Amino acid sequence: MADQLLHVGIDLGTSRSAISASNGERFVVESFVGWPADMVAKKVLKRDVLIGHEAVANRTMLDLHRPLERGLLKEGSEKDVEAVRELLRHLLRLVGVSSNGKIDTKNVRAVVGVPAAALRTNKQYLRNSMKGIVDSLMIVSEPFAVAYGLNALLHTMVVDIGAGTTDFCVMKGRYPTEEDQRTLTIAGDSIDAHLLKLIQERYPQANVTIFMVREWKEKNSFVGEAPEHCVVTAPVKGVPTDLDITNEIKAACETILPPVIETMLDLLSKVEPEFQDRVRNNVILSGGGGLTRGLAEALEKALDQVGGGKVTYMADPVFIGSDGGLALALDAPEGDWEKLSA
Amino acid sequence: MGKIHRIKRQVLREAVAENVDTIRGLPPRAARPLYRIGRIWLQRAPLLLIPLALAGSTYLTRSESSPAATPPRPLVLAPKPVMAAAMAPDPLVPMNASVFPLSVHRVVIDAGHGGTDPGASSASQLTEKAVTLDIATRLRDILRRNGFDVVVTRGADRLIALRDRAAIANSSNGDIFVSIHVNSLATGRESHGIETYYLGATNDPTLTRLVAAENRGSGYSVADLRKLLDGIYADVRRDESHRLAAAVQQQLFNGLRSADPGVKDWGVKRAPFVVLVATGMPAVLAEVGCLSNDREAAMLGRPEYRQQIAQALFHGIHAYASAGDAPKKGSGNG
Repeated sequence: MADQLLHVGIDLGTSRSAISASNGERFVVESFVGWPADMVAKKVLKRDVLIGHEAVANRTMLDLHRPLERGLLKEGSEKDVEAVRELLRHLLRLVGVSSNGKIDTKNVRAVVGVPAAALRTNKQYLRNSMKGIVDSLMIVSEPFAVAYGLNALLHTMVVDIGAGTTDFCVMKGRYPTEEDQRTLTIAGDSIDAHLLKLIQERYPQANVTIFMVREWKEKNSFVGEAPEHCVVTAPVKGVPTDLDITNEIKAACETILPPVIETMLDLLSKVEPEFQDRVRNNVILSGGGGLTRGLAEALEKALDQVGGGKVTYMADPVFIGSDGGLALALDAPEGDWEKLSA
Repeated sequence: MGKIHRIKRQVLREAVAENVDTIRGLPPRAARPLYRIGRIWLQRAPLLLIPLALAGSTYLTRSESSPAATPPRPLVLAPKPVMAAAMAPDPLVPMNASVFPLSVHRVVIDAGHGGTDPGASSASQLTEKAVTLDIATRLRDILRRNGFDVVVTRGADRLIALRDRAAIANSSNGDIFVSIHVNSLATGRESHGIETYYLGATNDPTLTRLVAAENRGSGYSVADLRKLLDGIYADVRRDESHRLAAAVQQQLFNGLRSADPGVKDWGVKRAPFVVLVATGMPAVLAEVGCLSNDREAAMLGRPEYRQQIAQALFHGIHAYASAGDAPKKGSGNG
């Protein structure tokens, strides 16, 4: 077993990170890494580092980091680099990889998908930050990994709505270049911030945090006509109280519509005229934001302005990026991995 | 499905290239227009040879036609002398490869044998597959340290079919191909030497046996081989292979003679090894030693000697890459 070779695809997201491995294992964790803030916290937590849901749950005792917040790895921030490394190690451990586990890190070939903006601006820094964690490493943009996994590499547009960024990528049968991609920092986090503000305005007495708002949004997000009333519970002057936030959810989620539509149409207009029709009919919505009910229909309505089109929503957006990364890892020839030692 | 597989292969290649550039600290390809132009030239240079070769062969056919076989021509006005001079084809001269100042960026290294095919063995059970893999790995590291891009056909003790080795070389757009082997002589076990092959026919029965042994299990049918041989479009690749073989052989012999004064220079030879036939770039096969000779087998078992062989191979490749107008790469220090 010690020599077992493992290929993995990792989606290093701004909000969640997922791993798909060639041994059939798949896991997703929240992209939070926290270190005990002081000696007391360390004594209570009995751990040097906490990752994912555990980190969020114990955030009051932690120095909490979300390394790719807003789609970028902050250069010069050692904690953020260490957070990326801890996150990768954690994901690898989940699928059975460790220096003393049944699969050694030196037998791992990984494709890591990162937000397109991160890859454009600090490619070298990202690579250096991930050095030595696996034997061989390929870093690609997340929308490209999604497109590869879906075999959607020609005349397709991927709209990947994450937490920190919304990435757009037109696939033209080649590895996407700068001109094929766009990134907006208007995404899940900006919806959360807006929703928190709207709820505080309507219920000034309610005690609400950004983490509660995020959870409510993930369960109830929609644009257009409300599918049902959205009622949540939050403490008001210490008393658990039901709050109707239907209108606030709608208003917050719809804030992303104008920039997303504008960017989608702008990118479409840059496609060669003879292929625009085909791209319009192959728009793929992925990422956590893709779960927003009514979003695909709203984008299709916008496409009507330019001749109509079809927006397909991926039912399993959680692993779509990591599965694409795994497909890339498995398809890369032996000779190529030799060149990608990490 | 065929089309999507082609596209997948292409985008995967580009994704890998982008990552390799990052490792080397190069800027994104989109920011390097010269890169595209350079690659296009490198990819199309052989295509440019085809019309030239065809034009040449047409002229050759015409000039060899006997006057009697030529049909009577209708009476036409003779063109003015200046026009005639301009229209007359130039005498056929061999193509000089230096007209295409191509640099060597990517070297494909092929470690002979592997997996269930051990190749030759010494009396002490040292196998050819182990020796070639070790030398190939050392050569890879030296080349990379000197700025070359390197593709290996096998990086572990695995059996790779000969046609797959050629396919790896061709699909990776290698600029040159170097296959590493170790000899074993059925007779004359006291003799040992170094030899380097490039593609060509041979009438030597000993060589025919050696080629047959190395080509065994290539996966090519007779028809495939015929197509491959027909596809060797120009003398340029053969000439370049010869030049590469000469450089490698010279550096191997010079580099190893000090460690083993008894080693013989068996020179540069031609032989139709499959890996030389099926690769689309200048290609050589180096027999870097002789496992049938007990003394040399003992030397091949020593890491320092294998490092010396890798260094010598590097110096051969470097000498070839640096010759003529080809841009120099690296300092030449292993």
